[in-house]
Amino acid sequence: MENFDINSLGIALALLGAALAALMAGIGSAIGVGMTGQAAAGVVTENPSMFGKVLILLLLPGTQGIYGLLIAFLTLANIGILGGSGDVSFAQGLLYLAACLPMAFVGLVSAKQQAKAAVASISLVAKRPDQFGKAMIIPAMVETYAVLALLISLLAVANIGSIAI
Amino acid sequence: MAVMPMQRIGIYALKNRRKQILELLQRRGVVEIHAGKADPSVFRQTDTAPAKARFENNTNTLQAALEALDKLEPEQKSLFAALEGRTPIALTRYEETVRSVSETLKTASHINVLWKKCADNRAEILRLETQIRMLEPWMKLDISMRTIGTASTSVFIGSFPEEYTEEALKAKIAEGAPDVDGVVVEVLSTGAQQTCAFILCHAAAGLKLETFLRSIGFTYPAEPSKRPPRERVQHLQSRIEKLQAEIEAAEAEIRTYKALRGALQYTIDYFAMRIEKYDVLGQLWQSAHVFVITGYIPAESAPALEAELTKGYDAYVELEAPDDTEDTPVLLKNNGFAAPVEGVLESYSMPGKKEIDPSTIMAVFYYFLFGMMLSDAGYGLLMVLGCGFALAKFKNMEPGLKKSLKMFLYCGISTVFWGVMFGSFFGDAVTVIAKTFFGADVTIPALWFVPVDEPMRLLLFSFLIGIIHIFAGLGVQFYQLARVGQWKDAVFDVVSWYLLVGGGIVYLLSMQMFADMVSLPFLLPAAVGSAGAIAAGIGALLIILTAGRDSKSPVKRLLKGLYGLYGVSSYLSDILSYSRLLALGLATGVIASVFNQMGAMLGNGPVGVIVFLFAFIVGHTLNLGINVLGAYVHTNRLQFVEFFGKFFEGGRRKFAPFTAKTKYFKITEEK
Repeated sequence: MENFDINSLGIALALLGAALAALMAGIGSAIGVGMTGQAAAGVVTENPSMFGKVLILLLLPGTQGIYGLLIAFLTLANIGILGGSGDVSFAQGLLYLAACLPMAFVGLVSAKQQAKAAVASISLVAKRPDQFGKAMIIPAMVETYAVLALLISLLAVANIGSIAI
Repeated sequence: MAVMPMQRIGIYALKNRRKQILELLQRRGVVEIHAGKADPSVFRQTDTAPAKARFENNTNTLQAALEALDKLEPEQKSLFAALEGRTPIALTRYEETVRSVSETLKTASHINVLWKKCADNRAEILRLETQIRMLEPWMKLDISMRTIGTASTSVFIGSFPEEYTEEALKAKIAEGAPDVDGVVVEVLSTGAQQTCAFILCHAAAGLKLETFLRSIGFTYPAEPSKRPPRERVQHLQSRIEKLQAEIEAAEAEIRTYKALRGALQYTIDYFAMRIEKYDVLGQLWQSAHVFVITGYIPAESAPALEAELTKGYDAYVELEAPDDTEDTPVLLKNNGFAAPVEGVLESYSMPGKKEIDPSTIMAVFYYFLFGMMLSDAGYGLLMVLGCGFALAKFKNMEPGLKKSLKMFLYCGISTVFWGVMFGSFFGDAVTVIAKTFFGADVTIPALWFVPVDEPMRLLLFSFLIGIIHIFAGLGVQFYQLARVGQWKDAVFDVVSWYLLVGGGIVYLLSMQMFADMVSLPFLLPAAVGSAGAIAAGIGALLIILTAGRDSKSPVKRLLKGLYGLYGVSSYLSDILSYSRLLALGLATGVIASVFNQMGAMLGNGPVGVIVFLFAFIVGHTLNLGINVLGAYVHTNRLQFVEFFGKFFEGGRRKFAPFTAKTKYFKITEEK
């Protein structure tokens, strides 16, 4: 252990960040779409013609998983795991990890919360199909925060490479 | 681009023309019926509920028959059936249908009887099959299951709740009832936890043996058949066959009515129209010889209808402008560019009183924002081709669907535009294909810049779009207020915000610190910045002084003014909200690139090509679906929350004319 180079941990930390983004946002979306899926299936049993409308609401909490994937992929590309040099310093690794966290945590929580709003919207649409526009906006409000987290993670991940540490 | 002006219409005519006039109105579909008030000593309303209930009953009968027919003889539908719209049919068919309605109804009832018979028979078959299953363990028995013995023997036919072989059972009996001899045991079947057996002994020992058998769990079968089981099963099976034959016969008979499908559908439509008509009939005020229809009509359709009614039907038509307190319905009319987004507007709300129809200005931003969020030339092209093909091929499409497709067509064009600007064609497909399969280094140059390389630039641009969008919303509010002469409100509520937000932004752009932070390519001179700051100050002062102008007490007014100023935080969050333009735009491109790279993993060669094609088709279909959904939802959100929040409340209802709401056919004019 004498010639242990702490910088060799950099890429591991960065990968941990990427994995967390995909993992937690993905878990959130899986839970979320599961919840809305149950509600949607219930509505479709009663009224199969509602499938189109319900499908949109059903998919709303699924976007967090995509955002997580996006951050994870961007991180992988930037740290050279998908080809290129794997030259990431310890500090940079920590930075990547930190950059991924907004998407990871906000993705997990917002997907679950958005699913709750979407389930409520699905029952709204089941009772009043003409109110689809409003029903769609309610869960989309929750998604705003996932988009903001995505934005911060995205900007951070894209720019860490240019910091010389 | 506007809310159509409405007129109140009153039609007065003789009762003997009632049917004709109602049918004319239904065909024209331009009048929304609204029962006004009338003198109850002269006019009365008819109760049409019983007639409507009867029609609904008939509709249900027909619908059930149609469903039965559809199950047996599924209608041949093309893949694009949903796009085709209702079949147009000439008005002359109406009279034909009227003549054959009772016959069609009779046929429908007959089909329902047959269909019910099929269902009953199926249930009976299920019951018989259960009986057969219950008899299966007893099949070896060749005597009646109810045999209890002869004069000199006792017979026990039943089951034990355990698995025994013949020897084991014999041994058990010998052990448990040693004084009974001459016992004959025959095990008929053994299954899990059940042994069915035939046991015979001398009549004298019967009671004793039975006592013992019961002690080890012997029970008689629940439903012993009188005849030997095999015979019984044969009998049951023949009954099943008979029932099956009946089902087949009934189904075959239903199938023979295949040609009547059209008649059934048409009759359903006929009753739907009559229900609609009777609904209106119930709202009419009628005296002994005269009836009155009141309602709303778009002003542009009024003269034609008036002429038609007065000339052809001896009616007197009265038209007048509705007053402001009335709850007039709203009908929108827009050109081909703006009309497609009417559906989106409608899903929010129809414009309220004093509000303009925002479709046109909304359409411009809608297509623009949607394109920016999807921003891929390949995907845009697919949308344009798909929607364009459907619109060109299916001319008879329902208007609502047509509008949606047109909207996505325009969105697709905008998407192509932004894809070209940002150099994205199925992500980086061209680069990846060229590199993997041809060893060439090709990139499609972005006409403007590549967002992944310069996210900050796109972020700033997104904010700029947001500011323009929000200011446009404020501008509409200014116009709405100015239009009705509320100039003071227009200045206080709109101009003050223009000054505050606009001035603030100008000031920000002149600050070195801000320019460094977002790597701004330019810096406004300090003098312009100061002017901006002064404008913002004036705006803020104006808001503090006027936001609470409804209150009388000066303290309350000041507090409300300060609270009004706090609204600046909502402008901040509104502008930041446009960062989703960047986030979603990048998401499309990056995920598309992920799929391209996944496809290219196996490199060149036959397997590589197949894998690439597979990843390309599946991946891009998925990405297109998810991102179109995302762009649609978030464009709506930006329109509904950020844009409409500035000027639009909505609240009136949509114009719902008295018309033929048919399901299968569209009745065309006789002309």
